[in-house]
Amino acid sequence: MKHFFHGGIHPTDGSDKLLSNQAPIRMYTPKTVEISMKQSPNSVCQALVKAGDQVLKGDIIGKPVKFGAANIHASISGRVSQIKTIHDDQNREIEIVIIEADENEEAAQKLGEYEEKLVDLSGYSREVIIEKMKEGGLVGMGGAGFPTHVKYETTEVINYILVNAAECEPYLTCDHMLMLEQGHGIINGVLLLAKAAGAMKAFICLEDNKKDAAKSLEEIIANKDLPIEIRMLPTKYPQGGERQLVESVLGTEVPAGELPAKIGVIINNVGTAKALADIVLGNKPLTSRVVTVTGKVNNPSNYLVPIGTKFTELIKESGGTTAKINRIVEGGPMTGASCLIGEEIDELNESVSKTTAGILILEDSSRDETPCIRCGECERVCPAGLAPFKIDFAVLEDDISLSNKLYATECISCGCCTYVCPARRELAYRVTVAKNEIFKLRREGAI
Amino acid sequence: MKLKRPEQLHEISPHIETSRSSKEIMQDVVIALIPAFLGSIYFFGINSIIIVLTAVTTCVLSEYIWQKIRKEQLTTSDWSCVVTGMLLAFSCPPTTPIWAVIIASAFAILVAKQFFGGVGSNFANPALMGRALLMFLWPASVSQYVTTFHEGSDAVSSATVLGLVKSGTEISSYSKWDMFIGNVPGCIGETSALLLLIGFAYLCYRKVVNFAAAGTYTLTVLLITFVFSNEGLFQGDILTNLLSGGLILGACYMMTDYASVAPRVKVTLAAIAGIITAVFRIWGMLPEGVMYGILAANCLSGLVDALIRPHIYGVNLKKNSK
Repeated sequence: MKHFFHGGIHPTDGSDKLLSNQAPIRMYTPKTVEISMKQSPNSVCQALVKAGDQVLKGDIIGKPVKFGAANIHASISGRVSQIKTIHDDQNREIEIVIIEADENEEAAQKLGEYEEKLVDLSGYSREVIIEKMKEGGLVGMGGAGFPTHVKYETTEVINYILVNAAECEPYLTCDHMLMLEQGHGIINGVLLLAKAAGAMKAFICLEDNKKDAAKSLEEIIANKDLPIEIRMLPTKYPQGGERQLVESVLGTEVPAGELPAKIGVIINNVGTAKALADIVLGNKPLTSRVVTVTGKVNNPSNYLVPIGTKFTELIKESGGTTAKINRIVEGGPMTGASCLIGEEIDELNESVSKTTAGILILEDSSRDETPCIRCGECERVCPAGLAPFKIDFAVLEDDISLSNKLYATECISCGCCTYVCPARRELAYRVTVAKNEIFKLRREGAI
Repeated sequence: MKLKRPEQLHEISPHIETSRSSKEIMQDVVIALIPAFLGSIYFFGINSIIIVLTAVTTCVLSEYIWQKIRKEQLTTSDWSCVVTGMLLAFSCPPTTPIWAVIIASAFAILVAKQFFGGVGSNFANPALMGRALLMFLWPASVSQYVTTFHEGSDAVSSATVLGLVKSGTEISSYSKWDMFIGNVPGCIGETSALLLLIGFAYLCYRKVVNFAAAGTYTLTVLLITFVFSNEGLFQGDILTNLLSGGLILGACYMMTDYASVAPRVKVTLAAIAGIITAVFRIWGMLPEGVMYGILAANCLSGLVDALIRPHIYGVNLKKNSK
């Protein structure tokens, strides 16, 4: 029985992925890293080191200030040269640990056994794996950055693991390349995820524009009687949305306001699976990740870089930008955050975090909003089944209770509505505004 | 809560967007209407040029002046008033006096469109509202039909095909082929099924309109007029009903209008409009029911939209769906 998620779009013709889906993952090790103590939106850590300290790669340098965050480790060996403090968008103080690498520290990377074949995992119990997730600072590497161990500490009975390898965002190819090159590590990681959850089966879910990756994973699991199934899904954005993936693969929906665990499912990104294998089987905490640098650059590439590598270095490594006015986006074009708009890229302060899947350079363009013509496209493509044009109207009228009645809270912020709007209305933005406002009012008990 | 408008909205994701704009959609509709316009010049001569140009000019000017006076964002460049003007002219007979065209056009834009908030906020199709105004206030101005050039040497007064059927007259003088290509008396843009369908095919190809809505409307009208015809049950003349009275113009270009037909329930509304049109055709005083059918559906749009609830992901799931 085939299932499809509701709505969705085909934002590009696929040529965007061709830019970098033939570029093998290259190692890049910078001389300096700037590791933010905020690696994902809701987990802020406190730096355990001070300027002048010597650190070794893998040392814990940041501990969560509150429950539900993940440790942060030094991503290179060297000396802490400085600790900067900046303020984030919520006006929280965020420390940034700057580490300068030791001279001639270019340790040759040797592949671990788990990266070349499937290994015996019988020695690892559920508790041990979850503890290692916690120690190793594992977070969801698809973008949301939710600490993985928190997902697995659920009291619900988990039947299935969905490994999200859809990579439905245009341009990004880091997961695709990882699957082509690190198949064994990924399969070992997926088996570990299934053990950690006590799940009976794991589905690795790919869009059908990555047939080569699916084939190489199939070859690894062939005739091994593993509880893993490779599932090919149509290429359609947002196929890799957590809730859409559940609908596509299992044909059920996650109840509103609940986590997928409620219906016995945990979803993790394929990069997270590989990182878990590194932590558990390779004894390497999460200190690096694969980043796609693409769009308007001379040599779109995929890099394996230490956390904290500066964006500017990676853009220069990729031959510099070709855009007249750069719009630099962290992540994909649909949900990524714009971090700089300008002709020069030197003002770019951002560095790679655990959730940076890509650095995308686009030609900047402006959008002028015109009145809604009520074509209904936004409603047709909304994966949540909302009518964004109505919520847009309600938000502009300051009518929060109407937004609530229109289920603005169920928005997944995928951006499909804004993408298709011929009147260029900022639909996704306003629905998200309404959603956040409703949640705030609910917390205050006002509605 | 007062929403603060961020200084640069375009910094917000998504960072890519479709190349299609409102203007492009409206231009597509105008392009689609051009074959029928050219056909009307061929069938009815200079009158159709004068009426179409008058309607379009009045529509654009009315919108421009209104928005200048009210100091609103100008929307004349989005071509929606050109579409309104063309559709209004298309639903007037070639004998319509110019003053009537001007009044109807100004009414369509000012009252039917701008009074309700401008583009996208009108509750009914402005062109049909303009046509309805003429029908109610000066029925004589829109009921003088003439034969086409190519029937005889001069244009002479004649009833439309549906009018003849209604009065029980034999219609054998018009072949189905004449009706298909548009060589029959009627409103400027409604007579040629062929040319309207060519334009509609273009709109479908450009994915501007909802084929299902147009199809549902047409089929509903044909089914009901076939079953309950004046000649007796299951005796209706399907082809005559299809090719006359502006059914194709209404189905392809007015039933598919965006603002006045709630998008999610378009097909349901098309069926409702079809039922009303058929009822007017069979039992009404006047032969053509397209205008009434679609205007009535426009008025029911909000109600139907509220009654048929959408499925929101994860909301109201069946129990035990685990």
